[in-house]
Amino acid sequence: MQRHSSQKKNTEESGKQIRGKNKIAFVSIGIILVMIIITTGSLLFFKTQLMHTAQKEISQAKRNYDNYYVMINSDNNSSFWQSVFQGATEQAEATNTYVEVLGENLSVDYSEAEQMEIAIESKVDGIIVEANESLQMRKLIDEAVTAGIPVVTALGDNTSSTRQSYVGISSYNLGREYGKQVNSIADSIYGAQEQTDNMMTNINPLQVLVLINANAEDSSQNIVFSGIQEAVENQSDYSGKINLEAKAINTEGAFAAEESIRNIFMTEEQPPDIIICLNELNTTCVYQAVVDYNQVGQINIIGYYNSETILKAIDRSVIYSTISVDTKQMGAYCVDALNEYGESGYVSEYYAVDTTLINGDNVRNYLGGDADEE
Amino acid sequence: MKNKFRNITLQTKLILSFIATTIIIIVVNLFMYQSINLLVNRLDAIYLSNVRLNELEIALGDVQNSMTDYLNTKSSDAMEQYYRSEQDYSELIGALNQDITGNRLQMMQRSIRNMSENYLEVTNQTVEAKRGRNIDKYKTRYEKATELYNYIGTYIYSLNNEQFKDNSSSYKNLSLSLHYLEYVSAFILIGVAICNIALITLLTKSITNPLRILARAADQVAGGNLDTELVEVQSMDEVGIVSSAFNKMLVNIREYIERIKESMEKEREMKERELMMETHLKDAQLKYLQAQINPHFLFNTLNAGAQLAMMESADRTYEYVQNVAQFFRYNVRKNNESVSLRDEIELVDNYIYILNVRFSGEIHFEKKIDESLTSIQVPSMLLQPIVENSVNYGIRNIDWQGLIQLSVYRQDDMVCISIRDNGVGITGEKIDKILHNAIRTSDVGTDSNGVGLDNVIRRLKLFFGNDDVFDIISEGENKGTEVLICLPYDEERYDDV
Repeated sequence: MQRHSSQKKNTEESGKQIRGKNKIAFVSIGIILVMIIITTGSLLFFKTQLMHTAQKEISQAKRNYDNYYVMINSDNNSSFWQSVFQGATEQAEATNTYVEVLGENLSVDYSEAEQMEIAIESKVDGIIVEANESLQMRKLIDEAVTAGIPVVTALGDNTSSTRQSYVGISSYNLGREYGKQVNSIADSIYGAQEQTDNMMTNINPLQVLVLINANAEDSSQNIVFSGIQEAVENQSDYSGKINLEAKAINTEGAFAAEESIRNIFMTEEQPPDIIICLNELNTTCVYQAVVDYNQVGQINIIGYYNSETILKAIDRSVIYSTISVDTKQMGAYCVDALNEYGESGYVSEYYAVDTTLINGDNVRNYLGGDADEE
Repeated sequence: MKNKFRNITLQTKLILSFIATTIIIIVVNLFMYQSINLLVNRLDAIYLSNVRLNELEIALGDVQNSMTDYLNTKSSDAMEQYYRSEQDYSELIGALNQDITGNRLQMMQRSIRNMSENYLEVTNQTVEAKRGRNIDKYKTRYEKATELYNYIGTYIYSLNNEQFKDNSSSYKNLSLSLHYLEYVSAFILIGVAICNIALITLLTKSITNPLRILARAADQVAGGNLDTELVEVQSMDEVGIVSSAFNKMLVNIREYIERIKESMEKEREMKERELMMETHLKDAQLKYLQAQINPHFLFNTLNAGAQLAMMESADRTYEYVQNVAQFFRYNVRKNNESVSLRDEIELVDNYIYILNVRFSGEIHFEKKIDESLTSIQVPSMLLQPIVENSVNYGIRNIDWQGLIQLSVYRQDDMVCISIRDNGVGITGEKIDKILHNAIRTSDVGTDSNGVGLDNVIRRLKLFFGNDDVFDIISEGENKGTEVLICLPYDEERYDDV
């Protein structure tokens, strides 16, 4: 009996022991698991950390594109061309094409002609260039086309060259639009004067100054000018009272345009009543000069393009109105033209880009719109 | 699986745990090295790109210089130099990117590559024209080549700058990663080390615990506690084997002791039975004698003889026959019971008287009895065989006067009965033999009443349950023998009578 009970005790104890043994095994396995978790966890953490930094570098070089176009223009920093480039990039992305502004990363500032040469030598798939009517430009465009590189001119054209297409504004329509603005200014001025004074002959004629790029041997400015002339002569009640004058602005060399514009204010005895600017830079310079020489209200500015500065100036009534070009559309059309030529070998000679008039009445929309875009 | 684990030997267990922890640490270290290698390689790659561009620039300069040199001198050395550098340069530009990717740096590489291809074409044409002495052509080609050379130079320079800018940010990331690696590896190593220590502690504990239990059990057994609990066997490693061997040993020892106990018991029983047999034999002998002689007839015969002697006034004969009759009556009556010491002494008196008649008064018998002790109970037929022994072996064949002294006295808590003769004495050897029962009844001559000394000794032992009751003392040859019986002085036994 005693033996039986002791046996029972023994089995009980051995059971306990086996449980103890199991516990040891479980704890050992647990410790090993903890080790593995620590190791793999830390290593994973490190890997992801490493991957994260590597990802940044790789993601840039990951995609391969079908075509490579370059854009060449006179002023890379202007918001006008940046906007055009943005439009081109958006369109290019959609068609698996890579667009680059040439010379952006280079340590030397090359002229447009030199950039054209680099583009030709680099064997790009297409060139978007802000051309002019110069002979040199024509030669370069012809050279590119001969080398099998399609060329699309944007904003400025070289009609005599063999370029594939031109994307821009119709200069004549632009001129007429400017003319209309001049007319409406004349209306408001003379209309007010008529009420107080019927002696119209005593009134000084309205001086209108059109700022023309002196170095561009390009007919488009002439077309713009004649457009203005026509609009003023044909559509204004006060056409005899409007004195239209073209002023050549020297753009050769750095900062030349700004100096020429300052000269207008410094040298002219009688500052003009209306100044018409045909590019963004001139608009901004004239606006600044008017403010600086305290001529706000005396001089009406009719500007070009809808940069933030210009829109704000319109909002403050320093600039009367501006003609806005749909720059993104322009960029997109350029890429479209090149793509189409690449695919079919043919492309439309001319793409017209939409223009919009912005004045004090609708400037709020654009200011808000710009803010939204940013 | 579990059983397999239980059967693993200690050595394997230790080796396995050691290997496992070592492997983990090695794996972690290998990974660290690999990561460090990766980072260092990437660091290398960063600067390698700049190094390559510098090489490219140098090679381009070589081409331009050697071409100019050739145009200047038209020497075959310059020509050779030109072709060599042209070869080098075209190999270098072959490594540049050719695809249109979204990366502006790679696009710059592409431009450099394309321009360089054109450039080399132009330089080749220039050299050809120079060899062909086409002066106009080589002059315009040279101008064109120089222009391209300048463009390419600008591109390489700009790309170098851009890459350096990029690399600086990459370097920042990489050094950050290195810092991370430091922390991560330190964390892992510390964590793994702690876990390893815990694991090894656990394993060694699982190894030493059974040993400790076994040692405790062995200690108890060494201390004489054979009833200690069996050590339970946890695993079949070396300790497990020792433990189970220990258990088996413990069980065997217990069984063995049990068996020894049993066999001792058996031996004791056998001895008892032997003794009983002897008594029974004696009984049988006696009964045989009794059966042969009708005691009443004998006593009546002797009594008639005694009366006859008395009537014939032969007093000595009367007394002799009377004594003989008493002696035999006692023999018949009280052979197997306990009697008082007094009766025994009386019997001795009778016996001596008969002998003295037989041997013409050769035996002198002296008594020194403390009468207060004579009521003590003793086995019957105790003294007479001793006296008979003294007579037969001690004083029968001596030249001098035989003397037998019987004394009863008290010594401390003992009642001592001494029977001393002045006979031939006895050797110590023989005393030992007698005391240890080596002389059998059969060795004794038939000239006795049949109760041997060994019988007396054995019965005394049985009666008192003590070995030290009986002793024989002899100082040597011819110096007599003393038989000393020391009985415990028992008040109750004394009072009984």
